Amino acid sequence: MPDDLHPAKPIVYTIRGCDACVKLLRKWDTDGVAYEERHVESAQSVLDEARRYGDLVPIVIWPDGRVEQGFGDTIGCFI
Amino acid sequence: MPSATTVITPARFAEGLSYSGFLAKAALNHDKFDASYQSVPLTEDDLSFLRKAAQLPNGPAKILAIAEAWCGDVYRELPTQVRIAEATGMELRIFFRDENPDIMDEFLSNSGKSRAIPVFVYYTADLRYITHFTERSASAHAGLEAAKTEAKAELSLPATATFDNLPDADRQRFLREVIAKIRPYSLQWRQDAIQEIRSLLSAALKLPHAG
Repeated sequence: MPDDLHPAKPIVYTIRGCDACVKLLRKWDTDGVAYEERHVESAQSVLDEARRYGDLVPIVIWPDGRVEQGFGDTIGCFI
Repeated sequence: MPSATTVITPARFAEGLSYSGFLAKAALNHDKFDASYQSVPLTEDDLSFLRKAAQLPNGPAKILAIAEAWCGDVYRELPTQVRIAEATGMELRIFFRDENPDIMDEFLSNSGKSRAIPVFVYYTADLRYITHFTERSASAHAGLEAAKTEAKAELSLPATATFDNLPDADRQRFLREVIAKIRPYSLQWRQDAIQEIRSLLSAALKLPHAG
């Protein structure tokens, strides 16, 4: 059964206005990648959840359990 | 530098939030802001300098902050400005970046490409621009670059490696190593930010840097 550690599609933690997040989602949208976006700034609970996985957004939880932070040529946004 | 025509009028400045108003609206990271507020590394010498600056006829009387509560650099640095305002009588007004794009546009960094925060802008009592500080200290930027260089060497990554050109697994190892290397410098870089702000004010006001 899919859960947050092994989601059916990638979960991505983002922040509105984060350049690296925008670039990642633009690429996924272009590539037709399905994903679940969770906005870190929406609630403390989501922020705390994201911090369990990493220090900077975007943070991606892949269906196979891999966790990746950041995207592109910048280090990303520290949370 | 802000543009010659600014959106920061007295009426607009007054619309900014107090620190308590900011926290009430942000509803994020209160524990982080509180911890930073309790550990602001301002020295007596810093406060002496800042009080002298504030007493000058054209000295800083108002601080405009651009912030978002989710941002690590904001919850580390904004409380320093709160303490400065409390100690000197300067009026601090805080604006959320994403609700105020016109204000943010006046203080873009990285040659106009980045909306980096926090931004702290110092104004005279009649809102004439004095100087501003963006994001983090120069030493923090340099430290980040040094950490990247060291991490590449330790992980046997090529010197030409960047976050953009590594395979995903190497990129993640690289990031984790860089983050581990910079974490111990948080307090030092907060201290350096204060010194940098003193230098900016000192240069703008022609006031000796010493307290």
